[in-house]
Amino acid sequence: MTDDADTPETLAAEYVLGTLAADERAHAEALLASDPAFARLVGDWERRLGELHAMVAPVEPPPETWARIAARIDGVAPRPPMRLPHPEVPARAAESNVVDLTRRLGRWRQAAAGLAAIAAVLLAVVVTAAFDPQMLPGPLRPRPIEIVRAVTREVNPGRFVAVLQANATAPAFILTVDIASRTATVRRVAAEPQAGKSYELWLISDRFAAPRSLGLVGGAEFARPTLASYDPTTISGATYAVSLEPEGGSPTGTPTGPVLFTAKLVDAVPPGP
Amino acid sequence: MLTAQELVWLLAAVANGDRAAFERLYAATRAKLYGVTLRILRRRDLADEVMQETYLKIWNSAGQFDPALSSPITWMVAIARNRAIDLVRKKTEVSIEEDAAVLEVAADTPDPLAAREMTEELRRLLACMGRLDEERRRLVLFAYYDGWSREQLAARFGKPVNTIKTWLRRALIEIRECLGS
Repeated sequence: MTDDADTPETLAAEYVLGTLAADERAHAEALLASDPAFARLVGDWERRLGELHAMVAPVEPPPETWARIAARIDGVAPRPPMRLPHPEVPARAAESNVVDLTRRLGRWRQAAAGLAAIAAVLLAVVVTAAFDPQMLPGPLRPRPIEIVRAVTREVNPGRFVAVLQANATAPAFILTVDIASRTATVRRVAAEPQAGKSYELWLISDRFAAPRSLGLVGGAEFARPTLASYDPTTISGATYAVSLEPEGGSPTGTPTGPVLFTAKLVDAVPPGP
Repeated sequence: MLTAQELVWLLAAVANGDRAAFERLYAATRAKLYGVTLRILRRRDLADEVMQETYLKIWNSAGQFDPALSSPITWMVAIARNRAIDLVRKKTEVSIEEDAAVLEVAADTPDPLAAREMTEELRRLLACMGRLDEERRRLVLFAYYDGWSREQLAARFGKPVNTIKTWLRRALIEIRECLGS
């Protein structure tokens, strides 16, 4: 950037530093929401200057602040960062449905152009009967350090499927949870084994202080982690996540590597006996 | 303060609607975010307003956080700072002279407690800031910590606004070049 020219670079830099006037900030914020290239410039400057906050002394806010925040979020579910326009998929998922989902994702991407910070997410419903390799395009390695979410739906009483997906064309893992038998099946689909690394599945629940390992997944095509030590409410309410760990799994018992995927069984209802 | 990795996990849970995780995230980060916003706004009522908006935004946007691009606390602070600066630009009644002497010292002197916990990125940034001309370094620090506009900086430093603009941009170029791309 040159000293005096008003370029996107100088606008991004001064936006992050905070020296712009109100109208210039409004302009920058409009660009931020609509221009991925500008958003990247802002991200670069956040990375350069952002650590300065470390030297600001913490100040405890009054207790009322939390009360007000809590009142404003209660009953308001967080907006999922990505949601396909029509998440309903016929129960008999087949090759044509995958194509259809891909096309929908394309439309969604057009609609969301400009929201560059959002990682790719697919909202999908898949039945266990549909685990047919023919439905899956060629393997694609999930990009590391990308948090991806899949929202799942009940497909049979007490049985839930989550598709963990990093891009528009290929699920990385398919997680099936059977609440009644407290078993899970993780099928590796397009997540390629990475040299010297292992994928590890975690259960995250507000009942536990730290994520609980459910073991390694992805070494073989199928992994069958047990959920026997967790009760149905915990299983149905938990968040499931896959992280990339050193070969053999996390050395510490808690996740050490990047979180690749997370999924929650949002529609889970514990079945009757 | 929890570790960055723990905050990443909390944000992932928040993105999935985990209310308990959100409360833990708030408990772990509220003092830092309140410190940042209060310093810019200097009024508790305004800082409280920005805290509410900031955490609502975090609740709604946790899924957009990308750990490849920034640390969780830096991402959250950026949201709070942007809200605070947006507000302060619209509230001209917030005096720029109030507390100026105290803040001047604070802006130039890293908190020694925090210094022990400096990240490598912060060390590099401070090394680059240290190479700036003293006046320009103070300009950047006032802008970052106190949210001052070019006009406010011009008044404080007794220079024309255009001079401040040029100095700011030169300082930012030097920082960028010092850090490398």
